[in-house]
Amino acid sequence: MIKRIKVGMASCGIAAGAGEVLELLQEMAGDNKVVEVGCIGHCYAEPLVEVETDSGDYIFEKVQPKEEDLQKIIDLDEFSRFQPHSPRVDKERQLITSLAGKIVPTSLEEYRANKGYEGLKKALEMEPDAIVDEVKTSKLRGRGGGGFPTGLKWSFLAAKDSEQKVLICNADEGDPGAFMDRTLMESLPHQVLEGMLIGAKATGARQLFIYCRAEYPLAVKNLNIAIEQIEKEGLNIIDGEPVKIMVKEGAGAFVCGEETALIHSLEGKRGTPRYRPPYPTDYGFHGYPSAINNVESFANIPLIVRDGGENFAATGTENSTGTKLFALAGDLEYSGLVEVPMGISIGEVVYDIGGAEPGSVKAVQIGGPSGGCIPAEHFDTPIDYDSLTSLGAIMGSGGLIVIGNNRCMVETARYFLEFTTRESCGKCTFCRIGTKRMLETLERITGGEGGPEDVELLADLGKKIIQGSLCGLGQTAPNPVLSTLKYFNNEYLAHVEEGHCAAMECKALVDVFIDRETCIECGQCIKNCPVDCISEDYVIDNEICTRCNSCIEVCPVDAIARVAKGGEVSVGN
Amino acid sequence: MSEIKLTIDGKQITAPRGKTILEVAKENGIEIPTMCHDDRISQTTSCFVCIVREGKNGNWMPSCSAEAQDGMEVDASSDLVRDMRKTALDLLLSEHSGDCEAPCTISCPAHARVEEYVRAGRDGDLRKTLEIAKERIPLPLSIGRVCPRFCEKDCRRNVLDNEGVAINDFKRISADLYYDEYMEERKELTGQKVAIIGSGPGGLATAYFLRLEGVASDIYEKLPEAGGMLRYGIPEYRLPKKVLDKELAHFEKMGGIKIYCNNELGKDIQLDKLKKEYDAVVVAVGSWKASGMRTEGEELARGGIDWLEELALNGWKGEDPGETIVVGGGNTAMDCVRSALRLTDEPVHCMYRRTEKEMPAEQIEIDEAREEGARFNFLTQPIKLRRENGKLVLECLRMELGEPDASGRRRPVPIEGSEFEVAADTVIAAIGQKTLAPKGLPTNKWGDVDVEEADCRAEGNVFAAGDCVSGPATVVEAVAGGRRTALGILAYLKGEECQLPRQINVSRGHWQSMSEDDLVYLFEPDKNKRVPLRLIPLEERTSTFKEVSYTFTEEEILEEGKRCIECSCTAKGDCKLKDFSETYGAHPETFGGEKGNNTYNSRHPHIIMDNGKCVKCGICVKVCSEVVNEYLLGFKNRGFKTKVETAFDTTLPEFCTDCGECIEACPVGALDWKKKKDE
Ligand SMILES: Cc1cc2nc3c(=O)[nH]c(=O)nc-3n(C[C@H](O)[C@H](O)[C@H](O)COP(=O)(O)O)c2cc1C
Ligand code: SF4
Ligand code: SF4
Ligand code: SF4
Ligand code: FES
Repeated sequence: MIKRIKVGMASCGIAAGAGEVLELLQEMAGDNKVVEVGCIGHCYAEPLVEVETDSGDYIFEKVQPKEEDLQKIIDLDEFSRFQPHSPRVDKERQLITSLAGKIVPTSLEEYRANKGYEGLKKALEMEPDAIVDEVKTSKLRGRGGGGFPTGLKWSFLAAKDSEQKVLICNADEGDPGAFMDRTLMESLPHQVLEGMLIGAKATGARQLFIYCRAEYPLAVKNLNIAIEQIEKEGLNIIDGEPVKIMVKEGAGAFVCGEETALIHSLEGKRGTPRYRPPYPTDYGFHGYPSAINNVESFANIPLIVRDGGENFAATGTENSTGTKLFALAGDLEYSGLVEVPMGISIGEVVYDIGGAEPGSVKAVQIGGPSGGCIPAEHFDTPIDYDSLTSLGAIMGSGGLIVIGNNRCMVETARYFLEFTTRESCGKCTFCRIGTKRMLETLERITGGEGGPEDVELLADLGKKIIQGSLCGLGQTAPNPVLSTLKYFNNEYLAHVEEGHCAAMECKALVDVFIDRETCIECGQCIKNCPVDCISEDYVIDNEICTRCNSCIEVCPVDAIARVAKGGEVSVGN
Repeated sequence: MSEIKLTIDGKQITAPRGKTILEVAKENGIEIPTMCHDDRISQTTSCFVCIVREGKNGNWMPSCSAEAQDGMEVDASSDLVRDMRKTALDLLLSEHSGDCEAPCTISCPAHARVEEYVRAGRDGDLRKTLEIAKERIPLPLSIGRVCPRFCEKDCRRNVLDNEGVAINDFKRISADLYYDEYMEERKELTGQKVAIIGSGPGGLATAYFLRLEGVASDIYEKLPEAGGMLRYGIPEYRLPKKVLDKELAHFEKMGGIKIYCNNELGKDIQLDKLKKEYDAVVVAVGSWKASGMRTEGEELARGGIDWLEELALNGWKGEDPGETIVVGGGNTAMDCVRSALRLTDEPVHCMYRRTEKEMPAEQIEIDEAREEGARFNFLTQPIKLRRENGKLVLECLRMELGEPDASGRRRPVPIEGSEFEVAADTVIAAIGQKTLAPKGLPTNKWGDVDVEEADCRAEGNVFAAGDCVSGPATVVEAVAGGRRTALGILAYLKGEECQLPRQINVSRGHWQSMSEDDLVYLFEPDKNKRVPLRLIPLEERTSTFKEVSYTFTEEEILEEGKRCIECSCTAKGDCKLKDFSETYGAHPETFGGEKGNNTYNSRHPHIIMDNGKCVKCGICVKVCSEVVNEYLLGFKNRGFKTKVETAFDTTLPEFCTDCGECIEACPVGALDWKKKKDE
C-alpha cells in the first residue's frame, strides 16, 4: 500500500518542471498523500518522484506532467524507474545529506523522527568547552573555502568576554554553478539550524544570523518556517534564554561572501572587505566578537556532537576529515550534488560518480572561479585540502567542473576570470584594475591578437594580483589563469604563435566550413543562419559568419564543421 | 611585553606594540609612499602603493594596515618591492584619464607653461604672462612673432570651433608691453665663464639659462651684428630688426653676457684656445649651408638663405630681382617668395614638387604669400637650369603623387613626357640647409654636431646647441635646445651627471581624436570665434618690408583669453599619483586597455569632481563621514566601474566650500577646487 508520494521540489527539481508534476499528482492521487521533499542529489534525473509503500520505496526519474505517466507511477508500473548507477552508490558516502530528499524539509517532526535535534539536546547538557573540544576532535575544517578548523575558530569566540557575541552562517554561496549550501538549506533547514544552535551554546553567542543569497527564495522560506517551528517548540532556548536567529538576504554580490564584507553588508554598509587582522572573532558585527561559518560546516555539527568527534574523524583522511559536498557540472554524464568522503580521488569523482568517459576529459576546475584547474594526469590525487593546494587548486566551497577534451583552456580561464573581474568590489588597485587588464589580455589571445608577451604579462600580473590584493577574491582570481598556464601552456602558445585553437572554441581563430561532398543540399543551414551568410551553392562567407553554430547543429548529415582559420581544408575522401 | 623588535630595511628598531608598519617606519625616518592613507580616518587599504614584504616568509602586506610584529624583517625598498609599487602605479595610470599638463604646454618644444601665461593674460596681468613665458622662452619678442605655434595646433579648443587659442599673441603683447622693464632674478656671478660661438637663438638661450644660474658668457659672432638666423634669415617684415635689437639689448643688461661680433671661428678665434681659456665652450653655429638643386646648372640659382642674408646685410633693400622662381616648399622658400614680392612687380613663382597639402611651410605663410600675389606651381620638379638670352630657363617635369615615403608624405613621381620650360630673371633654390660643423667635432650622418643626449656635450668641455645639433629647425626648438645645453654645462661645471627629473604626463588624447563630450570643463567655455590677427594694408605688404601684422590690443587679448578651456589638471602641482609614478618609474602606457569611469561633475560653482582621475582611494568618503560627520559622498558600482558619487548624484552643497576637507585630502585631482592654484 502507498504510504505517501514524494516529489523532489528543491530548486533543481522545480527548474526541471517538478511544480507541474506536483500539481497534477495532487489532483490524481486521491487519498494518497503527496508531499514536497528536497533534493537527493541526482539532479540530472529530475524531476524525481518517490513512492513510499509498505513494501519498499520506488523512485521514478524524469517524470513528465502527463496524466498517463503519472497514473503509471501511482500504479507502480515498471516505468521510468530511477536506478542510481552503481559506481556512484559505492563511492558516495551520505552522512550529512542522508535525509535530503527523504524527509519533508519543513517538517520538524520528520527531522526529529530521524534523530534530529539529538545533537542539540546533548550539547545543551554539555559544558561549552566540551562542545568545542568535541568539534576540535572531529578536526572539522570550514567548508566555505578556507578550510580553517571550526573548533579553533569557535574556541577564539568562546574565549571572548563580551556583552554580546555573534554567530553568523555564511549562506551567500556566490560561486557560479555551486549549490551545495542551497540544497542543504532547502532540503534540511533544521539540520543547519541545529548546527548553529549548538554553536551558540559552545561559543556563548546569543545573536545568530544567516546571511543568505537573495537568489535563494526557497531556502529563505524553508529556513524561516523552520525557525518559527523551533521557536514555537522552545528548541532555541539556551541556558534559559531564547536565542534569536535572523535570516538576512544578501546584497547580490559574490564578494559579500567574504567574511568582512559580509559583516559590512549585515551592518547596512557597502559590502566591501577590509584588511584582516583584526579577524571577526576580535572585531566583528558592530565591533562584537563574531564567528562566521559556512552552511555546510554547520550542517556537520549535529552529527559530530551526536555521534562524537572521533567517530566523525574516522571518515576522510588524517588532516581532512568527514565528507565534502560537490556540485558536479560540465562535460560528464551525471551532474548533480554528491557527498563523498574526503580523500577520494579526483578520478573516482569524475569517472565513477560523474560517469565521464575515460579519455574524454582533460581537466577539472575545482573551487570555482577562485580555484585552479587540475589536468587529467593528476586525477589520482586525493581530494583533501592540502593535496589540492599543492597542485595550485583549492578545495573551495565545492564547485567541480569537468572540462572535456573539446574545450579550450584559454577560453575556460577567460570565462572564470570574466566572473571575478565583474565581481571585484572595486576597492583595491591590483584586483580592480589588474584583473581587468588580465581579462583584456586573455581576450586578445582568444581573439587571435595576442603575442608571446601577453602570455608573460599574464604570469607576471597574475602573481602580483595574488600578492597585492586585500581579500580572497583578488588573492585567488588569477588561479584559473595561472593553473592553465602551468598545465596547458602549449595551448596558450598555440594561440599566440600559430593563431591556432585546437578546441576550435575561439571564434576568431576558426572558420565554419561546409563539406560539399557530404552535403545533401537540404537547405537547412541556409534557412537557419541568423546572418544569412551561406550562399545558394553552400559556401559560408566567414567574414560575416558569427560562428553561432546554428548550421552545424541543424545539418542532418554533419557536413558542417569548424576548421582552423586559414588552414588547409581537405574536401571529400 | 609591550615593546617589539623588528627590522625595516635592515635597520634594527624597537617600537611599542600595536602600531602599523607604516607608523613605525615613519617614526624611524623610513619613508613609504601612501595614497589611500590618512591619519584621521580608519584605513581604507585600497591603493597598495604602501606595500612591503616580510623578508622571512615572503608575505606581502599593505604597511598602512598591517601591524608591526615582533621579529618581523620588513623589506620596504628592495627592487622587488619597488617593482610591486611600480605595477600598482602602472595599473592606476592605465585606468586614469586626465591631463596633467595642458596639450599646449606639452607640445611647446620649450615646454613653457602656456596655459598659465594665457590665464595671466586673460586675468589682465600681462606682466606675469611675460614672466611665465620667460621661464622657458628668453626671446619672447622674436618668438612672439615668428613661432610656427606648435601649441596652437594641439590646442583642445580646436574641438569646439576648429581654431586653437591665439596663444603666441599673448607672448607677443606681453613682451611688447613689458620687455623693457622686466628683469628676471639672476644668481650672483660665480666667476665661471663660457665661450659661445654663434649669437643665434641657440647661443643666446644657452647664455641666458647659464646666466640665470650665475655663469657668465662671451658670445662670438662672425657677422657684423648679433642674432644669427633672427637677423640674417628671417625677413624684416616678419621680425623688424629694431625689435630684435631691443631683444638683444636685454642680454647685455643682464650683466655677464657679452657679444663680440665680427669674430669668425677658425679665423679670428680658435676652438683649441677657447677650450683652454673658458670653463666650457658652446658651439651654436647654426645650419647655414644652402643645399643645391642637384640639377645641371644649379650654380646659376641663388641659395635661398644666402639671398636672404645678402638682403639683410643690405638693410632689406635690394635690386629688383625681376620675374622670380623660388624652388622649394618650406618656410625659407616662403620667406624668399614674399621678400621677392616686395622687391619686384614682376611675377614671383613658388615651385614645389608635391602639392600644397604636403608643403612643410606654415599654412599662414602660404596664405599670406598668396594674398601678396605669389603664384604656386605644384607637382613640378626642376631638372635643368641654363642661361639663354639674358634670361634663366628652367626645364621642369610634371609630377604625380605615388606611395607614401619614409616621411609619411606621398612620394612625387615624374610623369613621362611631361617636360616643359619656364623662363625667369632670378631662380632661388630654397631646398634646405645643412650644418657646417666646425672641424674636429664629432658629427652624425646628417653632418650635424653629434652630442651626448644627456648633457649635449660633444667632447671634452665642448658643448653644442641649436640648429647645428638638430639640423635646421625653428627658433623655439633652438631655444629649447639651448636650455638643455645650459643644464648640461651647469652639471658639468659642478662635476655632476646631468639628470633631468623624470616626468610623466597623463593625457586624454589629441583633440583630433576627441569629441566635445570628451572635454572636461571647469567652467562653461566662451563661444566666441578666434580674434583675427590684424595685418597692414596689402599695398604696403607688396612694396615695403614693414612688419606685416599688428600686435593684439589689450582688449583683444582679454577677449581671446576667454576661449581657453584650461585643460591641465588642477592638481598637477601636488598629485601623489604623478609624484610616485615619477619616483617609481611608472608610465601611463605600460598597460593599455579601457579607461575607467570618466564622468565628471562640475555643477558646483567652486568644486569639480572628475571621476576619470579618481583612484578610488576612499579617503574623501571617509573624511566626509568620519571627520566632518556629513555623509555626502559614497561609492557606487563595482569592479572596474566603481566610482565616487555624491548623495543622489546631486552636486555638492554650497556649504562644502566652508570645509573642503575632502578636497584637501584627495591625493589626486579628482576632487578639487576649480580655481587653479598659482605655483
Ligand atoms: C570572495 C569570497 C567569497 C566568499 N564566499 C563565500 C560563500 O559564499 N560562502 C561561504 O561560506 N564562504 C565564503 N567565503 C569564505 C568566507 O570568507 C569565510 O572564510 C567562510 O565563510 C568561513 O566559514 P568556514 O570556516 O565554515 O568555511 C568567501 C570568501 C571570499 C574571499
Ligand atoms: S581583492 Fe578585490 S574584491 Fe577584495 S577588497 Fe580588493 S578589490 Fe575588493
Ligand atoms: S590627477 Fe595627477 S596624474 Fe591625474 S591628471 Fe592630475 S596631475 Fe596628472
Ligand atoms: S575623489 Fe575620493 S576616492 Fe577618488 S581619489 Fe579623490 S579622495 Fe580618493
Ligand atoms: S593601501 Fe596602504 S596606503 Fe593605500
